[in-house]
Amino acid sequence: MNTKEKEKYIEEFDFPHCDESTKYEKVAKIGQGTFGEVFKAKEKNSNKKFVAMKKVLMDNEKEGFPITALREIKILQLLKHENVVNLIEICRTRAAQYNRYRSTFYLVFDFCEHDLAGLLSNVNVKFSLGEIKKVMQQLLNGLYYIHSNKILHRDMKAANVLITKNGILKLADFGLARAFSANKNGQVNRYTNRVVTLWYRPPELLLGDRNYGPPVDLWGAGCIMAEMWTRSPIMQGNTEQQQLTLISQLCGSVTTEVWPGVENLELFNKMELPKGQKRKVKERLKPYVKDPFACDLLDKLLILDPSKRYDSDSALNHDFFWTDPMPCDLSKMLAQHTQSMFEYLAPPRRPGHMRHPHHPVPGGPAKPSSSMADSGYQDRVF
Amino acid sequence: MPCWYYEKKELRNTPSIQDGIDYETECRYRKEGARFIIDTGTKMDLGYNTMATGVVYFHRFYMFHSFKNFPRYVTACCCLFLAGKVEETPKKCKDIIKTAKTLLSDQKFLTFGEDPKEEVMTLERILLQTIKFDLQVEHPYSYLLKYAKCLKGDKNKLQKMVQMAWTFVNDSLCTTLSLQWEPEIIAVALMYLAGKLSKFEVVDWNGRLPKHLRWWDMFVEDVTMDLLEDICHQVLDLYSQANNAKAPDSPPLVSTHEGNREWATIPTANDVAASAPATPNKISKIEVTSSTVNGSSNADATDGSKPVEIPAHFPPYPATFTPSSTAYPPVFPPTNISVPPPSVTTINHIVSAMHPFNSSGAIRPSAPALAPPTFQPFPYPAATTYFQPGNPAPPSTTQRAYYPP
Repeated sequence: MNTKEKEKYIEEFDFPHCDESTKYEKVAKIGQGTFGEVFKAKEKNSNKKFVAMKKVLMDNEKEGFPITALREIKILQLLKHENVVNLIEICRTRAAQYNRYRSTFYLVFDFCEHDLAGLLSNVNVKFSLGEIKKVMQQLLNGLYYIHSNKILHRDMKAANVLITKNGILKLADFGLARAFSANKNGQVNRYTNRVVTLWYRPPELLLGDRNYGPPVDLWGAGCIMAEMWTRSPIMQGNTEQQQLTLISQLCGSVTTEVWPGVENLELFNKMELPKGQKRKVKERLKPYVKDPFACDLLDKLLILDPSKRYDSDSALNHDFFWTDPMPCDLSKMLAQHTQSMFEYLAPPRRPGHMRHPHHPVPGGPAKPSSSMADSGYQDRVF
Repeated sequence: MPCWYYEKKELRNTPSIQDGIDYETECRYRKEGARFIIDTGTKMDLGYNTMATGVVYFHRFYMFHSFKNFPRYVTACCCLFLAGKVEETPKKCKDIIKTAKTLLSDQKFLTFGEDPKEEVMTLERILLQTIKFDLQVEHPYSYLLKYAKCLKGDKNKLQKMVQMAWTFVNDSLCTTLSLQWEPEIIAVALMYLAGKLSKFEVVDWNGRLPKHLRWWDMFVEDVTMDLLEDICHQVLDLYSQANNAKAPDSPPLVSTHEGNREWATIPTANDVAASAPATPNKISKIEVTSSTVNGSSNADATDGSKPVEIPAHFPPYPATFTPSSTAYPPVFPPTNISVPPPSVTTINHIVSAMHPFNSSGAIRPSAPALAPPTFQPFPYPAATTYFQPGNPAPPSTTQRAYYPP
């Protein structure tokens, strides 16, 4: 085939396994994911079903289709659970002259009306204790499922927790997720340390651990749980150092007594660790949380030593979920709100409030102090 | 997910065949493409899983497109490039092309066009759509090792049998077996074949139940002897194909006929050993024969009988395109695939690389390669600003506005 024939062939070839994105009609931009924009869209056929379309950005990819997007696709194809966002299909634009015969790809998901950060930023949205329990129970169920499938999420935060109008919670954005394995024959894992949005980043990551596991997601679950009452992230550090200080002020000093082996972490001697701090998780959260079981579970999730931190199974067995008021359906409460609530669309909580958890170290060189998951948020305008 | 398994009659009615390529020629193109993926991958220290994944993509691709429209060596490079990323052993596109160039004649490399990298990049999108982003592919290797662990008997003989079965699995990539049968069944069949040839008879195994007549009844259901023999012959035909000048009828079409074949007619390892070099070379007799055939340009679909025509290419990136400075991190430690095979495998295997064992030889997975694919750390761009310079400076006071200190 000559060039013309080949172009025509590609333009006209009807890929039987990959539908065109024109079957959906974009409605609004609702977010910015790890590797591209996210749109709300409507199916054009008789279903009129709403979906979320996440564009795969490839313009600056020297090495073709991004390996991060391939990972997310592989993981999403593996994970099928009520509390994990459902990937419907991958769509493409038709290759034509205007795009130099290179298709653009979209990941198409079931549409979820809200994200937890959006809901929490709206003062009119009020969660009862039973509803909070339902949120946390679903969140931990999702984590239990993905961890059983040997997947780490690595970007737990309220904005990545979606909730449908029927009150079903879905863990979303697996753009940073990866498979993990137990250490075999003494081989230590060397995962990248630069993951998880700073405000939700556990102490082991801040201390340079590269052999981490599911507890990193449980720390995030603890932060999110507290946020259900405080309505705002509980530890909003500007730098890794400041985040570690905030953690010490809440969870007590990082010492070898409370966390044997912590001295072996790469940054243990490089970071400044506040001394003599008492653990006051319950004490400081009580004014907000009130419920003693809730305080106790938070205390178990926000444990400094990852090996002692509750896993999702123990958390789900905690009395918090098995005492009155029992977890209860969210759909009634959500039915009072007719508007979608996303962090991306929410107004700033107060003027000048820098919601972004990361930015370059003041005075330092412009370096990524964040997980790459947030690179997409740079163009937000408040 | 789409069904990636086909009936034999579908394999005789592929886009290439509809495009006027005869069945034998298509089989040869598939074999050459698979072979080339393995050779290129081996030269780049890629693991057998990556190469096998690339080969499966290659076979699937040509169930939707014709070899006339897409020259096989470009497709092969593209499949290896994508498989590298999917299996977390990424290689730079330009390095794959560089390696490919060393393995191809100048004439064959012409099919990559003026800008080979752009050619591969554009093809990657077509490949992804064609295979419906069904990226995760399983191979017979892991099943082979899993099954072998259950078999009882002389350890030495068992290991030799597994080693031989392993090389049969390598060679099976050159056939369309991955488009016909699940990896479990291929593993069983090729272990059965290796057992026959290495005279390792399985009489007992762990987990045996009264209802199990054969060891594989534990793992796969309803596999007939006819089916096993058919699979074995599809692999064995590769060797006779390579030894005979004329194209044999392969893979066999009718299985009842195959069932009647006598095992005695199959060359045993010893027979082959007598006629082959004692130490298998990378370039065996088979390869010499087939590469001579390959070398003749008028057998190439893309070339046809006309003089070599430089194929079509895609417009390059515009000048404004600025590549990022992102480099892939060092790849996952290469598996030990370059260990020379033990002497039992003196059969003229099509694929001589990709070995399951270290020279020490006990039956166990060869370290990291058999572990579930391990992800690479995300390569952080060295000089990327994550935040726009225009972003407001953070308030210098404490951030916890909603939460008392």
